[in-house]
Amino acid sequence: MLQVDDLTASIGGTPILRGLDLDVGAGEVHAIMGPNGSGKSTFAHALAGRDGYEIGGAATLNEVDLLDMEPEARAAAGVFVGFQYPVEIPGVNHMYFLRTALNSVRRARGETEIGARDFLAVAQEAMDLVEMKQDFLHRAVNSGFSGGEKKRNEILQMAVMQPRLAVLDETDSGLDIDALRIVASGVNALRSPERSMIVITHYQRLLEYIKPDFVHVLVDGRIVKSGDHTLALHLEDHGYADFVNHDLDAPDRPLSGAAT
Amino acid sequence: MTTVATASPIEYPSRHDERWRYAPHDLLGRLSFGPPSASTGKLPGPIGAQIPALHGPLIVIVNGVVDELCSNLTALPDGLRLSTLADASTDPAVPVAAHFNHDVDAEADVFMALNTTFGVDGAFVDVAEGQQLDAPIHIVDVAIPDETTNTSCSGVVIHLGTGSSATIIETRLGGSDAFGGSNTRTTITLDDHSTLEHIVLQDMPSTQVHLGRVEVIQQAGSTLRARSFNLGAIYGRLAYDVHLAGAGAQTELSGLYHGAGEQTLDQQITVIHTARDCTSRQSYRGVLDDESAGVFNGGIDVRPGADGTDAEQHNDNLLLSNRAEANTQPRLEILADDVACKHGATVGQLDANAMYYLRTRGIPAADARRLLVNAFAAQAVDDIGIDAVRTWIRGRLGSADA
Repeated sequence: MLQVDDLTASIGGTPILRGLDLDVGAGEVHAIMGPNGSGKSTFAHALAGRDGYEIGGAATLNEVDLLDMEPEARAAAGVFVGFQYPVEIPGVNHMYFLRTALNSVRRARGETEIGARDFLAVAQEAMDLVEMKQDFLHRAVNSGFSGGEKKRNEILQMAVMQPRLAVLDETDSGLDIDALRIVASGVNALRSPERSMIVITHYQRLLEYIKPDFVHVLVDGRIVKSGDHTLALHLEDHGYADFVNHDLDAPDRPLSGAAT
Repeated sequence: MTTVATASPIEYPSRHDERWRYAPHDLLGRLSFGPPSASTGKLPGPIGAQIPALHGPLIVIVNGVVDELCSNLTALPDGLRLSTLADASTDPAVPVAAHFNHDVDAEADVFMALNTTFGVDGAFVDVAEGQQLDAPIHIVDVAIPDETTNTSCSGVVIHLGTGSSATIIETRLGGSDAFGGSNTRTTITLDDHSTLEHIVLQDMPSTQVHLGRVEVIQQAGSTLRARSFNLGAIYGRLAYDVHLAGAGAQTELSGLYHGAGEQTLDQQITVIHTARDCTSRQSYRGVLDDESAGVFNGGIDVRPGADGTDAEQHNDNLLLSNRAEANTQPRLEILADDVACKHGATVGQLDANAMYYLRTRGIPAADARRLLVNAFAAQAVDDIGIDAVRTWIRGRLGSADA
């Protein structure tokens, strides 16, 4: 489904991603963990198409090259990124935004647009998923939303967009335990054999709710370790110390305490 | 240019005059004025489609003369006198002069003098004491430049009697692509406790100049809600001089100017407080694309004795191009006690994060940009109670489906 080869990203000559390789199969959920500044968010935005990076390497979704596409074309190709810091857009009605987004990708794919009434049913289902109240749709996008509401709103958008690849960037940060449960159950409900997910997180806590098929450790812009969900447990106990300051050019050196 | 027939010579505005600083003086010098030539039923077809579809009393002024064939002055509601300004001026029973030329300290300029000389026709609206008019009154001014006189002059005189209320919409359009323009002057007198909603829609062709002037005097407890949409013309100027002369009067002036190409859209706003406990609000938003320029020159003038004044002024600008410019200048003069006065101005660009966010949701860049621009402009549009006007503005701004 998603194939990332030797992906590099830098800003103003400062490298952030230094050759990231990742394969995500259909229906798989991969967690990416790593210390601050390791490039986790940059990876999400490199896939989404944010301006301002110098990008190298390759990233394809179902053999379609993503890296030359505009962000809206990537969305039409099935990429969805849940933002760590969802953007407030005062003056843009939330319902209108959601319908415009869905109809934009449908139009780009040559599908028929959804009318206002039919869309209401789509929106209602998505709202139920993240336990949002009706008035939510009539507010401006993320405007005045609490931290938890913003994160739930990202999942709501994912439910509306029904992407092939969802990249959730620290969707758990800033959530209390109830909001975390709602977000996680929303994500779990959207797992499907046709949909791949990349869950970027600092903490193992989210992964207790969303059990990943694979866990990767991102340090200094490269994946330095991959494993199953037990790797997240290891990180919870030992932190990233084993991976930070590790000489990445000498991969043969054993990692103390890491599963080999 | 035709000689101005006034007793004292009035100078053409100079570049050093702050109120005319951003005006295209070369174009102003090419405007020509003269007595209006009678025209009936000459309204070009395409203009009809540009006029907001309001159903109610209508006066259409073409080149400074009311076109009665295009107007609708029949079946007027009780308590409304709506006639041509020419008719009202010759009717001894109607004290038009009393509602004109009121002393608002509005600074005279050559175009006002030209309007006084040549703007002998137009609309006269008089709402009787205590009358609440539901249907909006629509006044349409159309300029069709001809070879001898390329700029039309017209007048609108509005009087609301004590305790009355009305909604008046003034639409200013141009009927050809030839160079020229229109020079309009609206004088409004609001008696005690009357309420006027006044909307100006300026959408002249981009080859023409619009010079619009609105002078208001408000008596005790009266309310004005004035909104202007300064959208068309190569130079579109809307000047408001509002005098709060009676205690407890309230005025709420807001507007949107939306320029592209090489347009200059100029708002010259002055509110003068002379009575106690009056409230004034100025809230103007500008969206400026390409090489367009926006001007907001907003004055709050609190005279001695206008104690308890509560005045605010806001001007926010969105620049869509690095060649566009916004010029904003507050002028505050406070000579009374116990005055609350606030002002603020912003000039910004489209939020790059918001653009990116919308695009990651599949919304193409051009649509995302339009969505954000309309969100910025929405403040000026959303609470307009008249569907046809709201629809017209949204259609004009390309946000019909929002």
